[in-house]
Formats: sequence, C-alpha cells, structure tokens
Amino acid sequence: MFCFSTSINKRNLIYGVFDSEVNLMSAVEEVREKGMEVFDCYTPFPVHHLDTAMGISRTRLSIAAFLCGLTGFCLGLLLQFYMMVFDWPMNIGGKPSDYHMLPSMVPVVFECTILCTAFGLAFLFFFRNKLGHGVRPDILDLRQTDDHLLIAFDADTLDLNAKNELVVILNKNKVLSTHEYVGQYAVNHGGVHA
Amino acid sequence: MSVVDAAIRPPLITGGKTYADVTADICRPLENKPSRLWWIGFSISFFCLMILAASLFWTVWTGIGVWNINKSVMWGWDITNFVFWVGIGHAGTLISAILLLFRQKWRMSINRSAEAMTIFAVMCAAIFPMFHMGRIWVGAYWVFPLPNAFGSLWVNFNSPLLWDVFAISTYFSVSLVFWYLGMIPDIATIRDRATTKARKFWYNFFSMGWTGSVRTWARYEVVSLILAGISTPLVLSVHTIVSMDFATSIVPGWHTTIFPPYFVAGAIFSGFGMVLTLLLVARKVLNYENYITIGHLEAMAKVIMLTGTMVGLAYITEFFIAWYSGYEYEQFAFQNRAFGPYWWAYWTMMGCNLLAPQVFWFKWARTTPWFLFMLSIVVNVGMWFERFVIIVTSLHRDYLTSSWVMYEGSFIEVSIFIGTFGLFFTCFFLFCRFLPVINMAEVKGILKNRE
Repeated sequence: MFCFSTSINKRNLIYGVFDSEVNLMSAVEEVREKGMEVFDCYTPFPVHHLDTAMGISRTRLSIAAFLCGLTGFCLGLLLQFYMMVFDWPMNIGGKPSDYHMLPSMVPVVFECTILCTAFGLAFLFFFRNKLGHGVRPDILDLRQTDDHLLIAFDADTLDLNAKNELVVILNKNKVLSTHEYVGQYAVNHGGVHA
Repeated sequence: MSVVDAAIRPPLITGGKTYADVTADICRPLENKPSRLWWIGFSISFFCLMILAASLFWTVWTGIGVWNINKSVMWGWDITNFVFWVGIGHAGTLISAILLLFRQKWRMSINRSAEAMTIFAVMCAAIFPMFHMGRIWVGAYWVFPLPNAFGSLWVNFNSPLLWDVFAISTYFSVSLVFWYLGMIPDIATIRDRATTKARKFWYNFFSMGWTGSVRTWARYEVVSLILAGISTPLVLSVHTIVSMDFATSIVPGWHTTIFPPYFVAGAIFSGFGMVLTLLLVARKVLNYENYITIGHLEAMAKVIMLTGTMVGLAYITEFFIAWYSGYEYEQFAFQNRAFGPYWWAYWTMMGCNLLAPQVFWFKWARTTPWFLFMLSIVVNVGMWFERFVIIVTSLHRDYLTSSWVMYEGSFIEVSIFIGTFGLFFTCFFLFCRFLPVINMAEVKGILKNRE
C-alpha cells in the first residue's frame, strides 16, 4: 500500500478520543473486524502493533537505507581511488598508492557508508511523512501530543448504519468523547453520506 | 499486547505517573522562569566559555608557542583533552543505540541527555586538533579532501589522522541527526502546550508538522532502529580510529594492538562517569527523581564497574606484554610510566580507574547518590590521567636520550581545557532550558507494566 501521511485537509472526519492505548487498540481491532477502514490514529507515543492492526504494510524505508549505504560505500571508494590512485598518487614512506592500499581505505569507506545511510534515511523519512520546517501540523486535538489517543474515520466513506455501529464500538471501548471535524473546504454532508 | 514484562520486575518510572504527569513534569523546567540555581550554573559556565574564547584567540594570535608542547612532547594537553572529550561522548551513543538494540528499557529516561552530552563533548573535542594545527585558517586544506592552490595535491588517505577527521565528523553529524529525529515528537508536545507567540513559532518550526499519526510512528520506529544499528559500529569505529592515531605509530607504549578495544572500553567508562555526574545533578535540580530512579543509577554504576575492570585488565595486559615481548624500549617505556618522574599520574590513573570502581560490588555504593557523584568525579579524573599517561609518558623519554624532557601544561593550555568545560556546560544548561531533557514519548510508552 503506497500511502503518504494522510492530510486531514478537505476531509470530513469522525474521531474518538481515548486515554488508554489498550482501549484504542481493541477499538481498532473491532472496527477492522466489521470491515471498516480506520483513516488514521494519532498517539502521543508509539503504540506497538497499532500499525499492523490498522492494516498498514511495513515501510520500505529499510530498503532505501540499504541503497543509501551502498551509495556511500561506492562514493567513499571512488573518492579515495580518484585522489590517491588516479589524480595524484603520493609516495609517503614508500606506502603503496594503488589497489594495495585497499586496507587503509576501509575506515573512510566505512564512515562514508554510515554518513550517507543516516542522512539519506533521515531526509527520506521527512519526505515520506511530509515533515518539514514550517509545515502546519494537522492537529485535531491539542492533547493528541500529550495524553490523548485519537482514532479518526473518514466520514464520507461511512453510511448511517456504519456510523451507528461505530459509535457503539467506540463507547464499548470507553471512548472519552466523539467529535466531528469538517476540514477546510470540505463539504459538510450533515454527517450523513448515502 | 506482545510486550510482556515480568510482574516481579520493579517499575522503571516510579511515583505512579500518568501520561499527563509525564508531560507536565518534563515540560515544567522549560515553561517556567529559570531557577536561581540555573542562573548561577549558567553564569559560571558562560564565564568559562569566555576563558575559552580568550585563550583560543591568544593561541591563534601568538601561535601555538604559547603552549608548552615541544619537539619531544609534541602532543600534550591538547590531544589528551581531545581523547578525553571524544571518550565522554561515547556513552551517549552507547546508551541510545546499543541499549536500544539490546532492548534495555531503562535507557529511555537517560538517552536524550546522554545524546546531548555526546554532541557537546564532540564539539569540545574537535577544538583541540583544529587549534593544534596552528594556522587554523588554512586547516580546511589539511583535513578535508580539497585540492590545494598549486594543483590537486590531496590529503593522505593512508594516515589514521585523516581517518579520524572522517570518523569524528561523521560521528558528530550522525549523532546530531539521531538526536534531533528522536526529539521531534517531544518538540511537538511542547508546541501544542505553548502559550507565547515566540514559543509557538519556534517549537512549531522545529517540530516539522509532527502530528503523531500512526504511519509516521511506524516509520519513525524503523528509522530509529536502523539509525541505532548503524550508530553502534560507528561509535566503535570512532574510538578504534582514535586509538589508531597512536597504535599505528612506532612509539614504544603506543604501538600496541590492544589499543582499539581498550580505548573503546575506556570511552564507555569515562562517558558513563560523565553521564552520572550530569544526571545526578539534573535529577535533583529538575525534580526528575521519579524518572531517573535509583534503579537507573545502579545500572549505570554496574556498567562503570564492568568497563573500569576492562580498562584495568588492559593496563595490566600492556604491562605484561611489554615484559613478555623482550623488547627493551617497550619495557623501558612501561617502567618509566609506573616508576619514572610521572609515577603520580600513572598511579592516579590506576587508583581511579581500576581500584575505585570496585566499590560498586557493594549495593550501598551503587545506590547512594552522593557517593555515586563522588565516584563519577573520580572516574572523570582517572580517565583524563589515562590519556595524559599514554601520551606524555610515552613521548617525554623516547629513543634519543638527548631529547628527554619534562612537560607540563602552560597557563593557556590549562585555560583552554577549563574553557571547554565552559562550552560543554553552557550548551548543557541551554539544552535543559529549551529542550526536554527526558524523552517524553518513549517514557510514556513504558509507564505501564503491561501484562
């Protein structure tokens, strides 16, 4: 599933507020059993296995990290081969300036690999999550970064029946409150979408 | 839940805290006016920072002749301090990366401050080799792979000193990325609590639009794990390469294959010493006793004891190998270390690093804060002397008897060292003032002992 972080802009959402990750988790599981899609959850701390419960596939950032590392590895080798072997082979204390110096290239190649992996991965992480300096945060509840755990549903995908069912499930799992959210420019269907 | 903690295991966070308590407790120092203690500490540190600025200015203005290093002892306080600070930095990465890989959850209340310490310590360390080059304004051509003005004469990749440049700069930048990435969720928490315009703007800017969406968290955890995975060999490589600065030379006392593991153990030892020094003060001043508990202190004391014993073993092994090698210059270097004119430095090192940590076999010593504080200072002193012993006693009496000299740090060298403490603590005080010292998001995740 290829999905960027989903923006709440231009959307009609229904969201429930929880104060415990155990209740949130069982709500997600029950909702999924009924065949409804969870739009997103917002938690102040990582809740393990919530992503798999929601049906989100594993990120491919680890593959990207390997590719970044490989790039760094090649760049490190290229850098040293170009400078020490091709461009200006230095004779310092009779030490070799050809492929024989491969062992002494190891540390710099290693550092280049790590450097490229870390920076490549960090930038890809920001890009993938649409995080950036000055990005306006899509906050539904000011305490979603403090002690509230949110579960959000796209209201446009739910009919009246499903909505009623949803409220039952949320209440059963001790939801603190349920709210409707009408995003900027979103059409308000009056809470019902046939 | 697939995470199962034994019911008999004591909780990592005490005081029966709720999620809201964690946020409130950890944000309190950043949201209120700084205390009088903070101002006193900050002023002293800032004064020392000014000493650093003045003495570095004097060094550059006059030349490094203002240091007492000479033809025989060409590395003195400068490289001693460099290795000392780099070593201190290692505990941060050890705590956040290696303990993450080992799933040690007690790391979560101390990893943020330890990583901050890493970054500030590496900044202090970098000062010394840079200014030791003398003409610092042309230093870029000597350390970075840039072509010089006369054609493309590049840096020498056969030299461990150049490997060190790559290692230290990679270490600094990767640690910074790891630290910042881990802090984004907490900055978002502060952003959503901010009341003033300036706070809203800056915390919004640095939180990068974080919402705590599950997709983001899932990726965040994968990224943290990978960064921890690559930081672990990185931190080992850094001090290995620092030790190669010595081990690849032919100076008796330096030319030993035991150096890399011995230096890495020493780095962890000294780093944990400094983490203890800082956190013992911080938990008291910032009222974090429920987050940095006696259990945390005890765990760190155990690491100190283990690594202290490892460096002790290395000291004794070095001595044994010097005798066993049958190489008279090596034998002389070690006799001279222990019984020569710098005997006091050698035995200070032995006492502080090998003997002193052995008190941690007793539970009382591991769990009494004031005693731990004293011991952490002893460890810091001992590790400074270790580097001094390795560097100065090996150089001051080398092969050529006519070049034998004695060396002591000049006024400027000592003030630069004191000044780096100013830099370190100024940064740390600012960090305590503006950023969350404890990782709120992670601590919230371990609040409840799940069954």
